[in-house]
Amino acid sequence: MIEMKGINKGYLLGEEKLPILKNIDFTVEKGEYVAILGPSGSGKTTLMNILGCMDEMDSGEYFLDGMAIHETGQHALTKVRNEKIGFIFQNYQLIPTYNVMQNIIMPLLMRGMSHQEAQEQCRKTIELLGLEHRINHRPSELSGGQKQRVSIARALVGSPAILLADEPTGALDQSSGRDVLKLFRELNEMGNTIVMITHDLNVAKSARRIVRIVDGRLYENEP
Amino acid sequence: MRISEILRLVWLNLSQNKFKVILTSIGIVVGSATIMMVLAIGTGGREEVAEQFKNLNAGAIDISCEGETSGGISFAMGGGDMIAFSMPDNNMPSGSISIGGGGSFGGGNDWGGFGEIFGFDGESTEKQEFVTLTTEDCEELSLFVQGIADATISYSTSASVEGGDLDSASYYTIAGVQDNYDTISNLEMSIGDFLTEENNENKEKVCVLGYSVAKEIFGSAYDAYDAEIYIDNRRYVVTGVLSEMGTVASGISPDTAVFIPYETGIKYITGSSISPTLTVIAEDVNQVDTVMADVETALADSYSDSTFTISDAGTKMEAASASNETLTLLLISMAVIVFIVGGIGIMNVLFVSVKERTNEIGILKALGCSRRDILLEFLLEASFTSLVGAVLGVLLSLGITPLVEIFSVRVSLSVSGAMLSLLFGVITGSIFGFYPAFKASRLIPVVALNQE
Repeated sequence: MIEMKGINKGYLLGEEKLPILKNIDFTVEKGEYVAILGPSGSGKTTLMNILGCMDEMDSGEYFLDGMAIHETGQHALTKVRNEKIGFIFQNYQLIPTYNVMQNIIMPLLMRGMSHQEAQEQCRKTIELLGLEHRINHRPSELSGGQKQRVSIARALVGSPAILLADEPTGALDQSSGRDVLKLFRELNEMGNTIVMITHDLNVAKSARRIVRIVDGRLYENEP
Repeated sequence: MRISEILRLVWLNLSQNKFKVILTSIGIVVGSATIMMVLAIGTGGREEVAEQFKNLNAGAIDISCEGETSGGISFAMGGGDMIAFSMPDNNMPSGSISIGGGGSFGGGNDWGGFGEIFGFDGESTEKQEFVTLTTEDCEELSLFVQGIADATISYSTSASVEGGDLDSASYYTIAGVQDNYDTISNLEMSIGDFLTEENNENKEKVCVLGYSVAKEIFGSAYDAYDAEIYIDNRRYVVTGVLSEMGTVASGISPDTAVFIPYETGIKYITGSSISPTLTVIAEDVNQVDTVMADVETALADSYSDSTFTISDAGTKMEAASASNETLTLLLISMAVIVFIVGGIGIMNVLFVSVKERTNEIGILKALGCSRRDILLEFLLEASFTSLVGAVLGVLLSLGITPLVEIFSVRVSLSVSGAMLSLLFGVITGSIFGFYPAFKASRLIPVVALNQE
């Protein structure tokens, strides 16, 4: 599903390039639920951005669902993000002026579906996440847990190859966080591939596999 | 994304920010209203010019003397036919020149000899610049310049008028005219008859009222007919009322003038202190230029120290049209400037909007929204904001039209003007909205997403 080989990424700091990711090799099989665990500044968000095709690597090879991402242009990457990746963000990243339904169906509209078609297709996802009674609410009218459910629904609605979750419980209270993690387990059991980034070991433990990132290097076991 | 879905999102965004849309579009509102008003005033002006000149005789040539009197002069012609050039009382000479010499007007009809008969006998103490044209000049021109069908002389002044429904004396334009003035100026009578030759010769106190004057003084043309008015405290009988003309002839607007016999006016109102206008009608409208040249030559021969203004109806119409077009062009330039300012306003607000919505753009990009879709969404938002402004501008111009008309400005609103305003508004908004929309579409997803 995901195969990364020798990924390097750095940012220019003045004239000097600061390395963030150092020779990353990372593989995720279909149906896996992987947590990338690392402290702040370890490079996990940069890795997440590259995994999500939102940032370019300096060197290395990245294959997603058989597609050579490192050789793909920006226009095609836009399509990859829409069709193969479902993003779940720490702070939900919902569009505040849209209601729940409008937020959820956005990825489908971007695929060229009509409003009607998109609404019909997302009905099951909405039911799965228990959002039936909230579809006309704005994000500002929802609790943190509900917002994250909307964010998950939006990620799931297009049946992506992989779900990428960036600190999905970071903005939630303990109870809501537990619910989200439980939902992730259920989604994984339903066959979804999930890659979650977190700095919290307890959160990471909900995944079936944990990889650690320290100082831009990835370790399958304790470094 | 489908265009219909992009339009739905545009509508969603605009409908949730109504006040912002209105504020953003204020520049376009003003611009569209200006364009619509400019076109309407321009068209109104053209119509007014056309209306003013619609009854004007195409072969009419007006002649008047330029300049002011700086001294006096007297002419005395000796021998042959005598022509006396009378000067106004206030222009009586401080010195004198006598023009003498024998001969006649070149054998009757030959105007070519008109100037040659004059010989200066005496010295001018001050240079003569101004002459008062007389009925004799009028007759001589008709006689000696070829190609003139008819000629008349008129003047206008202002005098107090009382009578009818007027509570107190009001000042009106009094036009001293000859009996042929109505045919030369294509005037039509509403009731009664125009002034006659006898009225003029006998210096009778009769008058013909312009349509607006009759309405103002008596309420209607019917009530004015055969009634009496007092001009400069002298009683005049109204022998007729003109139809509504809306034209200007020989510098006189017939609707707002009181016509009296030429000689009556000189005797009772003006004395000889007048600046009359000679109006001659060319027999052939295609020969107007030739007649004008001949008239100029004849007058130059007669009054070598004076300058005359000789203008024909066509030139006047062209001048009026040119003046109107210049004004329209000026107003259009103003409207373009307003549009540019409005467009820059839209661009600024859209830049702020893109900045405010950078995170939203980041979300859309993360979800797989293409650059084209984002560009289109922001561009359409700019276009629709402009459209709203343009529609409000058109409505505003409809609203202010009655106010403008209060100031006697003729406004001729048109559907094409409204369409043009809308078009200009939308185009301006779209042009100025493009760059912010382009910038939005080019945002890097990860940078945009992390923007607070």
